[in-house]
Amino acid sequence: MTRTLLDCVLDEILPAREDPALPGAGALGIGSYVVEKLGDALPLITSGLEALDQLAADRGAADFASAPADERVALLNEVAAGQPGLLESLVFHGYCGYYQDPRVVEALGLAARPPHPEGYPLETGDLGLLDPVRARPRLFRDPGA
Amino acid sequence: MGEDTVDVLIIGAGAAGAALAWSLAETRMQIVCLEQGDWMDPADYPTTRNDWEMDRFGAFGLSPNGRGRREDYPVNDDESPIKISNFNAVGGSTILYAAHFPRMHPSDFRVRSLDGVADDWPIDYKTLEPWYDLNAQMMGVAGLAGDPAYPPKEPTLPPVPLGKLGETLAHGFNRLGWHWWPSDSAIATEEHAGRAPCINLGPCIMGCAQGAKGSTDVTYWPAAIRAGVELRTRCRVREVTLGPDGMASGAVYVDADGREQHQKAEIVVLACNGVGTPRLLLNSRSPRFPDGLANSSGLVGRNLMFHPYALVTGIFEEPLEGYKGPTGCSIICQEFYETDASRGFVRGYSFEMLRGMGPISTALWGMSTGRLPWGAGHHAAFADIWDRTAGMVVICEDLPEECNRVTLDPELVDSDGIPAPKVTYRLSENSQRMLEHAVARGTEVLEAAGAKETRAEAPLPPAGWHLMGTARMGMDAATSVVNDWGRCHDVKNLFIVDGSVFVTAGGVNPTNTIQALALHTADRIKNNLSNLFD
Repeated sequence: MTRTLLDCVLDEILPAREDPALPGAGALGIGSYVVEKLGDALPLITSGLEALDQLAADRGAADFASAPADERVALLNEVAAGQPGLLESLVFHGYCGYYQDPRVVEALGLAARPPHPEGYPLETGDLGLLDPVRARPRLFRDPGA
Repeated sequence: MGEDTVDVLIIGAGAAGAALAWSLAETRMQIVCLEQGDWMDPADYPTTRNDWEMDRFGAFGLSPNGRGRREDYPVNDDESPIKISNFNAVGGSTILYAAHFPRMHPSDFRVRSLDGVADDWPIDYKTLEPWYDLNAQMMGVAGLAGDPAYPPKEPTLPPVPLGKLGETLAHGFNRLGWHWWPSDSAIATEEHAGRAPCINLGPCIMGCAQGAKGSTDVTYWPAAIRAGVELRTRCRVREVTLGPDGMASGAVYVDADGREQHQKAEIVVLACNGVGTPRLLLNSRSPRFPDGLANSSGLVGRNLMFHPYALVTGIFEEPLEGYKGPTGCSIICQEFYETDASRGFVRGYSFEMLRGMGPISTALWGMSTGRLPWGAGHHAAFADIWDRTAGMVVICEDLPEECNRVTLDPELVDSDGIPAPKVTYRLSENSQRMLEHAVARGTEVLEAAGAKETRAEAPLPPAGWHLMGTARMGMDAATSVVNDWGRCHDVKNLFIVDGSVFVTAGGVNPTNTIQALALHTADRIKNNLSNLFD
């Protein structure tokens, strides 16, 4: 499997976004994460993706990457229908890699850092909202009463 | 090591073993605790890494079967819709718990008398009240006084912050006129006993890198060790041994180097949780106890109770900052806690509000619920749910049934070849009706709080983290395993201090009660040393 093919598929699964603008998951380099996480399943996925290239060629394109943009999703779905687990694995690992990438995390409005050691400020909140609860009679049963 | 007789041998260094060890330490008895896990290093906890969300699929997952750690033992839970969740380390499952720390209600100890089901406990709320209070000091419990759902109690620390998410949900409860209250949480909201204050990292259920969460490796254990208790890690107990006098004589264990040892003891205390304790008793067979140690009643392993959980999640229009703050601790609702027969079931449940999710969890939740497509519509759909989810778990009271049980699996063993437990469990009709009621009410309150869409899952499969009832407490040796202070009826120097001894489950997280019971047992041991085995 060429990186180009996996990147191209990942760009279909997680395409470029706007505001803030970011390229798709393949262009962001999430493919290397996906390959690492696929582990023993990599040969199966590779074979599935090669079938994708073959199907694209059968339909007149040089390969999947060269297929018209509006046909790629259909090609992907068609191959996935005959390869259980193919798309599920790519989507799962693609999401996991994409949503921990610092550029994506920042695009969501978060600081691209682990939670510790800085943590997050959080407002105590309005405990006056409890006034109607405080005004209620006892809610528990007391067997000794 | 292992040849001398110690005064007290505790098996298990989790919530209960730690509390009991600390309490007994003042007697200056020689106390040894054997723990199959090791010390955890908070610097290794997931929130210190950018990919922290991924550890739920690995070393910090809930299921011992999925983690693959040598310290864990496998559990066959194929015949249960609720799967076992525990953790083996110094601190036990408090390493991964959410630190929700409610007490049981007075009515929870009088279930038969009040509602005609199950059995009354041989102790009551008043018995445990001083131990709840002491435990609050030791664990550092944040909360707010004045909750009308409870007898008066004074939290040690200010409550966990509501945040925008908590306030949003509070408005929903107020619109319906329902009870809610800031959660009692074993979380240091201020510096407490050397623990740094909570800085709202989020996923308490993956270990607290800040050390603010009250796991017993940072609460009871340092104090117990300073007082002279010896804690041996990576020591897995194979069986509790029985002397010719019919008393427990110690335990055989596999040490950190894989060598089998026998530790002799005058008193043996089991603190291995509601699955680990019956497993150990059933693995401890002898001519005197061919069906397992202390099992003349036949009840060891029976009456297993979980808390059947449901998860109800709402999607809101506005960001909620839900990735900030203790995941499981925000506010609790006990509007439906006490029995009301008109609801179609007996006993009741609590709602506990959850914070939101991180980016990866949001994506995977969206995928699993069919809410988040891949492809062209992905980013718009993600924006619709990112930081806009708030959920609640429902904790239903389970009732004891003998058919729900822990046995030994005929084939499965742990890494030391010790037979592993098998769990057989089914949901009762009462629990199913309670879950249905709770999901409907949970949906109602989320909508009242402004949710534009809700999703529910019930029962929640991975929620087998409260393990109770498998060595129940009672005054009759024919119908219970231990007496009213945790001493086995059959073996008078053998004590049990974990969730196994629960007679009923209540509708709240059990850790606070487990520890209060351990402190109660320790107190009774200390006050009866001269005639402890009479």
